[in-house]
Amino acid sequence: MAEQVKENTVTLTIDGVEVAVPQGTLVVDAAKIAGQDIPVFCYHPKMEPVGMCRMCLVDIGYPVKDRNTGEAVLNEDGTPKIQFGRTLVTGCTQVVSEGMVVVGYSEKVQQARKDVLEFFLTSHPLDCPICDKGGECPLQNLTLAYGPGESRFNYDEKKKNLKHVPLGDLIFLDRERCIHCARCTRFQEEIVDDPVIGFYNRGRSLEITTWSEPGFDSYWSGNTTDICPVGALTTADFRFGARPWEMLEVASICRECPVGCNLTLNTRREAKSGGKMVVKRVMPRQNEQVNELWICDKGRFGYHYASADDRLTTPLIRKEGEFIPASWDEALSLAAEKMQAAGSRLVSVAGGQLSNEDYFHIGQLTEHLGGKAVLYSNMMGGDLTTKVGMGPGSNLADLGAGDAILVVASDLEEEAPLYWLRVKQAAERGATLIVANPRATKTDRYAAHIIRYEYGQEAAAILALSLDRIGDSDLADESFKQAAKAFAEAENAVVFFGSEGTGMAQSDALSKACANLLIATGHTGRPNNGLVGVWDKGNVQGGWDMGLQPSATLFDDLKAAKAAYVVGADLAGDNPAYKQALAQAEFVVVQELHHTATMELADVVLPAQSFMEREGTLTSGERRVQRYYPAVPPAGESKADFAITAEIAAMAGKELESVSAGLVFLGIVGKFKDYADLDYQALAEVSEQWPIIGREDLYYGGTGYANHQGLGVLLGTAAGRGEPVLIDGFDLPDTGVDGLLAVPVTRLYDQGNNLRYAAVMFPRIASSYVSLNPADAAGLGESVVVELNGFQVEVALKLDENVPQGIVVVPRSFGLPISAPTPVVVKN
Amino acid sequence: MNALQHKYAKDIEKVLAKYPADRKQSAVMPLLYIAQRDGGYVTKQDLVEIGEILDMSTTEVASIVGFYTLYHDQPAGTYRIQVCTDLSCALRGADEFLENLCENVGIKVGETTEDGLVTIEAVMCLAGCDKAPMFQVQSPEGIEYHENQTVESTLALIESWKQEKED
Repeated sequence: MAEQVKENTVTLTIDGVEVAVPQGTLVVDAAKIAGQDIPVFCYHPKMEPVGMCRMCLVDIGYPVKDRNTGEAVLNEDGTPKIQFGRTLVTGCTQVVSEGMVVVGYSEKVQQARKDVLEFFLTSHPLDCPICDKGGECPLQNLTLAYGPGESRFNYDEKKKNLKHVPLGDLIFLDRERCIHCARCTRFQEEIVDDPVIGFYNRGRSLEITTWSEPGFDSYWSGNTTDICPVGALTTADFRFGARPWEMLEVASICRECPVGCNLTLNTRREAKSGGKMVVKRVMPRQNEQVNELWICDKGRFGYHYASADDRLTTPLIRKEGEFIPASWDEALSLAAEKMQAAGSRLVSVAGGQLSNEDYFHIGQLTEHLGGKAVLYSNMMGGDLTTKVGMGPGSNLADLGAGDAILVVASDLEEEAPLYWLRVKQAAERGATLIVANPRATKTDRYAAHIIRYEYGQEAAAILALSLDRIGDSDLADESFKQAAKAFAEAENAVVFFGSEGTGMAQSDALSKACANLLIATGHTGRPNNGLVGVWDKGNVQGGWDMGLQPSATLFDDLKAAKAAYVVGADLAGDNPAYKQALAQAEFVVVQELHHTATMELADVVLPAQSFMEREGTLTSGERRVQRYYPAVPPAGESKADFAITAEIAAMAGKELESVSAGLVFLGIVGKFKDYADLDYQALAEVSEQWPIIGREDLYYGGTGYANHQGLGVLLGTAAGRGEPVLIDGFDLPDTGVDGLLAVPVTRLYDQGNNLRYAAVMFPRIASSYVSLNPADAAGLGESVVVELNGFQVEVALKLDENVPQGIVVVPRSFGLPISAPTPVVVKN
Repeated sequence: MNALQHKYAKDIEKVLAKYPADRKQSAVMPLLYIAQRDGGYVTKQDLVEIGEILDMSTTEVASIVGFYTLYHDQPAGTYRIQVCTDLSCALRGADEFLENLCENVGIKVGETTEDGLVTIEAVMCLAGCDKAPMFQVQSPEGIEYHENQTVESTLALIESWKQEKED
């Protein structure tokens, strides 16, 4: 039965299987669709083909046409006559054409593959038994399929090479195993634009090297080990750690930033860990709408915090200044008693990486006790994203020519690496990228328009972008007008707003200005249009959705608190001002994983489970609700955050679900309109994705995992439901100062919870520093004293020409007392 | 301005002027030649500085040095005598010439004379097959072909360099 041939579709035959694919498809991809695998090494479906490895050689024939009539010439039996080429061609560089016949199973092609493989093996060590890739290695599999049982070459002439070359702190290179496919170097250059590894020399002397300082130090480095088709690149934390077939796969979601990358946790039970089930590595899980096949190194390596030795394993109660281990009953009843007694002077602080279920319960308990629940974030606007967010049917991969993306107040790669990547790719597809930021960032490289406003002027800049206000703005040069026009006229438009240099007042104004711009230009309520918060922590959107909000008066709230209930937030470690405030609170309950600076100030400590030990849901910056699963047993007596809160609630006279996160979610579904259509089953639904990965042929997409456990669900928005959306008025914050102005920025590798507990990542975290323009640094040494908000802190000084004059860039969560733009003195 | 820009301000400016500002990476090869002009090789610092001038990563600049045989990442003699030893040259006695030359100069292939004047290297085809034994000399002055050579003629050439150096 002939399928109806759509326009722009090409029908061809691959080893007898007829398949219809879009025009422009490569033969290897067409084969994949047809279920007929053509082996590859250098080809990767996310990168431009280069035809380097020659493994995908196939025989290709084309229908013969009569030169005079243009009609197809037929064989005697009526079938079209096919003319094959003289030589085999690489299927990865060949685009399909109508009537094409691809042969991969002929004697000729099979022989070619054997020959190509034999060449690879002339200098490959075949040390599969000790190789980390063994068991999931394309070269190993293809050697079994096509490789010679015995080498024809002289073993003594085999190229021997270094086997443990650290390209950086996280990635090791085995030069013998490398087959020079350039997947890693192309990934670094083509996909993430961070070409810090490259080829050196040529021919048999070719090798992967880095000449950059400090080596292969890229936020994306781990991905190269996934797509390496041999065991040449391995990660420092997993190498020689386990065999792939020993491990189980458990679905999880990263909470290190608001993107919500899908993860697979590989676990095994091992003697080395006392017979316990442990996570051996974190791998990307395919979600083409979120992280595609990639994750950043923070997501890949940061998880070690959860298996660190210094986890809290038992409740602690402070007695005469010392922490004494206590039973759960004892600790919970003390906490409940004090929290109940505090009444309206109870302050609950919920960290930005908790699950929706945790936030829901913290909100419920605090409300019951009459206290104040605070979301620990410095950003505002989480209510606006529920009104004019991206909405169902959105996928950043759909944005391209005719669309516009505005990134404002964000060093996007530092704040949310995968958003940066997806925005970059949209720009490469032709979307107009407008970057508005006070200093240059990597995102600028792809920008059609760059807007440089002064720190504090972010909301004013966005207001001016609304066409009718342009005349009022100092920024209204030609490029600015073009940017405004491009945004207004774009078919689809998305705004990413971050927290570069903003405190809560600035963030409030900025988010409203952004929402206004979207409404004014008609970019709301449709898929691929709307506002995305590049939140300062992973599940801040979930916190907002569960009814929590940041507090501009958190410092004073804590000082006046009769009881403070701090869950998953290292206030004291992040900012000494909070440390001071918390020290003044009468009674402090800390629910935490580690021995943090905040925990030092606690009266009761409740050990919580890490994300690997429990289940729950998270809501991303795009408002995709995603589900994660338990992978390993809890550390010691630790409990899930929502369960601990429920048990406190029970003692304080409020019934909350304390066992099943799924049942808590039902409560969420019942209470919040946006979540009303959801349940755990819906979140676990999957559909076919392209490229197809994770099947037996490991050579195609790398060793990342296919997604069997859920793609998540994008929440609806008020605008999408056609409800009227009004944005409250706001004041433009005044930031005029004499002298230097300190502004907070976000770094991917910060000193905050929980990254610093991951031993493998610790060396990657900078020591405390501030950045200044060289023109402002006259007379200052390498180490300076910063006077900020009444504190004096000694830090390293970094000179950076991208920092505007008069500005001191201060990273958040580096122990410096900053939560908003503040006057500052820097001295020796 | 980095050290390279200070040292060769005019030369670098001249090279950059040949390329559009948004394609300035194309200047990487001429800049590498400038960098290796005096010392005979490209230092790690040169790679960093050329990367700064052209907005390229150090690794990208280095990969050019690695790919092309006329860029060097190690110090050697002021004059690099690069003798072709490919098949056609070998048939005309290039191998023997190279061996005898090394013996007379007192160094092995790939080594440099004690005075730092001469390095002898064996290289692939220089397209002078019919005039072998032949070599090219890479020096601060550029690249020069010497064809139909004998050991004597080559030693005389080296002697002339020595004279030049002493004068």
